[in-house]
Amino acid sequence: MDPVAPNGNELLLALLAMGLPLLSFFLVFFVTRPWVNLSCAVSLVCSGLPLSAAVWLLAGHWRMEAPILWQLTWMEGGGALVTFGFLLDPLSLLMLVIVTAVSFLVQVYSLGYMAGDPGKAKYYAFLSLFAWSMISLVLASGLMQLYIFWELVGLSSYLLIGFWHHKFSASQAGKKAFVMTRLGDLGFFLGIIVLLLNLGDLSILGLNQQAAARLTPGLLTASALLIFCGVVGKSAQFPLLTWLPDAMEGPTPVSALLHSATMVAAGVYLVSRLFPFYQGSPQALGWVLVIGTVTMLLSSTMAMVAEDIKQVWAYSTVSQLGFMLMGLGAGGYFAGVYHLATHAAFKALLFLCSGVFIHQYATNDFFAMARAGARGLKVPMLTLTLAGAALSGVWPLAGFFSKETVLAALAELPNPAWLWLGILGAGLTAYYTFRLLFVMWRPRRLEPPPEHGERAGHGAHEGHGAAVYWVMAAPLLVLAALTVLLGAAGPALQSFLAWGRPLPAGAHHTWLVWASVLVVATGAGLAWLEFGRAGAAQQGFLSRMPGLWNLFANRWYLDWLYRWLLDHVVYGLFSRLFTLNDRRVVDGGIDGFCRATLGAGWLFSLLQSGLLQYNLFTMVLVMALVGLYFLLV
Amino acid sequence: MNSLHTYLFIALVLFCIGLFGLLKRRSLIGMLISVELMLNGAGLNFMAFNRFLAPDPAVGQVAVLFIMGIAAAEAAIALSLILALFRKIRSVNVEQARQLKG
Amino acid sequence: MNAGFPYLSAILLAPALGMLVILLLPHGNQRAVRWVSLVSAVICLALSVYLYAAYDRAAAGLQFVERASWVPSLGIFYYLAVDGINLPMVLLTSIVFFTGVWTMWDLQHRVKEFFALMLLMVVGVYGVFLSLDLFFLFVWYDVSLFPMYPLIAIWGSTRKEYGALKLTLYLLAGSALVLPGILYVYFQSGLFTFDLVQIAQAGLPVEAQYLGFFLFLFGFGVLAGLWPFHTWSPVGHVAAPTAVSMIHAGVLMKLGAYGVLRVGMFLCPQGLGDWSPLFALLATVGIVYGAFVGLAQTDLKYVIGYSSVSHMGLVSLGLATMSQGGLSGAVFQMFAHGIMTALFFSSVGHIYDRTHTKLIPELGGMAKVMPRASFFFILAALAGIGVPCLASFWAELLVFIAGYRAYPVLGVCAVLGLVVSALFMLRVVQKTFYGVKNERFAQAGDMTMVMIVPRALLAGTILLFGLLPRLALDLINTGVAPLVGMFK
Repeated sequence: MDPVAPNGNELLLALLAMGLPLLSFFLVFFVTRPWVNLSCAVSLVCSGLPLSAAVWLLAGHWRMEAPILWQLTWMEGGGALVTFGFLLDPLSLLMLVIVTAVSFLVQVYSLGYMAGDPGKAKYYAFLSLFAWSMISLVLASGLMQLYIFWELVGLSSYLLIGFWHHKFSASQAGKKAFVMTRLGDLGFFLGIIVLLLNLGDLSILGLNQQAAARLTPGLLTASALLIFCGVVGKSAQFPLLTWLPDAMEGPTPVSALLHSATMVAAGVYLVSRLFPFYQGSPQALGWVLVIGTVTMLLSSTMAMVAEDIKQVWAYSTVSQLGFMLMGLGAGGYFAGVYHLATHAAFKALLFLCSGVFIHQYATNDFFAMARAGARGLKVPMLTLTLAGAALSGVWPLAGFFSKETVLAALAELPNPAWLWLGILGAGLTAYYTFRLLFVMWRPRRLEPPPEHGERAGHGAHEGHGAAVYWVMAAPLLVLAALTVLLGAAGPALQSFLAWGRPLPAGAHHTWLVWASVLVVATGAGLAWLEFGRAGAAQQGFLSRMPGLWNLFANRWYLDWLYRWLLDHVVYGLFSRLFTLNDRRVVDGGIDGFCRATLGAGWLFSLLQSGLLQYNLFTMVLVMALVGLYFLLV
Repeated sequence: MNSLHTYLFIALVLFCIGLFGLLKRRSLIGMLISVELMLNGAGLNFMAFNRFLAPDPAVGQVAVLFIMGIAAAEAAIALSLILALFRKIRSVNVEQARQLKG
Repeated sequence: MNAGFPYLSAILLAPALGMLVILLLPHGNQRAVRWVSLVSAVICLALSVYLYAAYDRAAAGLQFVERASWVPSLGIFYYLAVDGINLPMVLLTSIVFFTGVWTMWDLQHRVKEFFALMLLMVVGVYGVFLSLDLFFLFVWYDVSLFPMYPLIAIWGSTRKEYGALKLTLYLLAGSALVLPGILYVYFQSGLFTFDLVQIAQAGLPVEAQYLGFFLFLFGFGVLAGLWPFHTWSPVGHVAAPTAVSMIHAGVLMKLGAYGVLRVGMFLCPQGLGDWSPLFALLATVGIVYGAFVGLAQTDLKYVIGYSSVSHMGLVSLGLATMSQGGLSGAVFQMFAHGIMTALFFSSVGHIYDRTHTKLIPELGGMAKVMPRASFFFILAALAGIGVPCLASFWAELLVFIAGYRAYPVLGVCAVLGLVVSALFMLRVVQKTFYGVKNERFAQAGDMTMVMIVPRALLAGTILLFGLLPRLALDLINTGVAPLVGMFK
């Protein structure tokens, strides 16, 4: 399919979606920052308009036939050509709507959540920057542009995670997120260079259409795996997954944004974006599948023991991302993308609901929230339950359908182990989700709410209760509606993503549906036994296995390993050795050289007795010797 | 007897006595006198060569006159330096003047 | 080409005349001294911006040429011209000079002498960048170096005599290699001219290029902070007063790289071919090494100093690749790094002025105390770790691509250095600016609007060239292209 140029309308809308958030960033950050309300208004307008533009574009191109491409030369030098532009096709349009919708809703929600925070205007500026980078990433026409905005997404998440940077843990988490994703990006960058040097064409369409034919299989796999390193970093896959739970230090709306539609979703988006390219290399897809599976299981176990509500959702995000990658790795393009879309809706909802509780009770511990009477907040509690049910895959919510498509994709694989691992993951997901829900719904005993003001940034805004509550509740309702509706939109989306062509008739596994329903029911039932039923001790079976408990609660000691590597290898070995080398060898060498010069001068000065006649004597002697020399030779 | 060698030998003796005195004497006055001896030895050489080898242009005589003039000037400067030194360290012994020791 | 207003001589004359006027001013008149410096800086800035805009990119080559014979019997010419390589450097010098003067506005100690020496240094820098005559180039080179000693030793801080002495000795040792190199080239070429272009066109014998490039590489390399001859630079940066650090790290280090490029590579392209593996190796070691040593530093200025070592390693790596992309990247990196370090030192200078410390453990929470200063520092740090849409990203991109193409292993190591530099920059940002507000410095004021101007100019330049890299690269590419043709 050859791309076509956009008409004026499309160009305008796409540039509007790409440009407005940047404008808003500069405006808010440099101009309107002292006026908080004005800043919020600017930012909201500049995220609302792109949403409308995105919806308009999507609606107008529901039956598009060829991708729309528009690009400029951004930079050129030495054979490297970086373009800036946009590529509109079903995938990018769908993702554009998701990104703009979630970021708009998060901005609305933040009006309440961040009310009274002294840095609110700056916060909105950063949100705009985040939206800009993500939108430009999604629409990127070339891999280099995608990489650039990929890095900018990393930057904005660094700024937002560390937003309350007076807290050490927050600034630490921001740094960790940046450096760990950077580590993955290293691979991404090298992959791009390999492609550039061997293919010379970095446009996404070109890669998808020609890479498989023009590259040797080895190079193709190598570059695909290198690019996947970036995905591992950004989507918090094993082994670079530990930054994401720490990233919960940011304000909760940021977590919602980070976890549903931006940042971590970027990784999965990249694999989907280059899906035909990946399909050229079965080995690379195999690795995607392996990494996705390991990550999904590992992080599910971590979620089973977490007691911080945001941590539970963070681990579940990691595991769901792994699940999407499993779908993609199994060759299920639609499965991965569809799960990405539904996940964006219900995960944003989960975080935003949790934000209401955190805002209200000033704690992250869901046991404490429950005791403080969390179930009294009707809207968030109901939407939380809805989203939780969607996450665990309860019929007829969106999560159920997307999970089924992923499992169906796994069932196509020759090796049935992948399917069983996927189903196991679904069971674990149901267990930890319902564990949280049951604890929230059925607290053991009620307590008066704890003292406020422990969490900095949440101090002085108890007064405007109702308005704040509803500003925060409205986005919840919108997202809840989406969570329900997206389930029904599956077939339509599928045909949209397939360019309206008739779908290949995949085998329908009726038994698969029943198997997964059974597993989800088992997980939920186990959670009910332990946490839900009257008189339950609210202690998981894992607490009777301290070894496993510790392993899971310590994130499989991955963090410990990284800390050790950082302390002992980076700081202890390289940094210390190089510094010593600088002081002792390089500087020491120079200082030694200088000292040797001085010493030599001192030595020669010893010859100076100060007695005139010695000098004279030496002179005469030398002259005599010279004379002798000339006489004899 | 009246040959070039005689004069050259006397000049050599004069020069060596002067050199020996210059190295041996610790008194600056003595060293100055020794230097004069050496100069005279050199002057005698010039005269001898002039007389026996190139009597016509009288260049040797000119050179000797120069040496005498320079010797006079040198004596004056050296004596004034010695005086200045004497004022400073109350001695004309070079062993006392060792400020340049390294 | 020869007709018209002598813009280049005007750029050279403005600070020179400024210095003379300052020297003639009565001693107590500090206001006048500052204003004279500022006016000459503004003139230079305006002229440079004009040249930058007026340079005909399509025609490329040397433009605004001014050439006159000075000592015909020795073949010395007064020869000024700009092309795509030195024009960005001239613009960089003007920006840093202007912001440096503005940054030092509040100096109280020996104002007259300070600005006179600073102007003298700037004259030298302009001279090196503009001259295409080896003799003049060398003279200007030394003119730009020697004011460093008094500037650091009198107005500096933290072991200033040691820093000044070390720096001067190193740089003079570098010159001691450059001068024989120039004379060697002068005699080997057989033309008995110091005209760089003529020698380059005639070409040197291959054996002569081998030794010649060696002399230029290490002679100029010392000033470019080439590992392992880099230790003068952090020490010197730390000891120097703010504006001197700015000019020193921002511009002077570029003189070294520029010398390697303009003299070494122009005259001895074949010699580079022989030395480039070693050159690339030293550059890569510098990149990684500088980042790791930077991790262990506790003094803000030391951190920036080592980041400079790391970033200048990128310039060297770009040069060593001998390719269009690498050279363009190197030149762009010189420009971007100059602006970035100037912003770094300018922000640190403010913090040091207000808190009288630049030790990281003593600071902390500065983002609350002085948000504006923190903003500028953090922006510079982000530029330093290669965040896209800031100028140095593009330069690093080009250098990495070219580096990987020419030396795959070294290229990968260099990219790895980028992660370490992200770690150490963010660590500094976290420890210095984040965290709980430090009550000890609660009264330390933030930048006033007047003090923001130079920093904003630098930050704006970083953003402008970051968003629109073609503004610089289209120009640089034209300058680099003829050079690339000389390597075979």
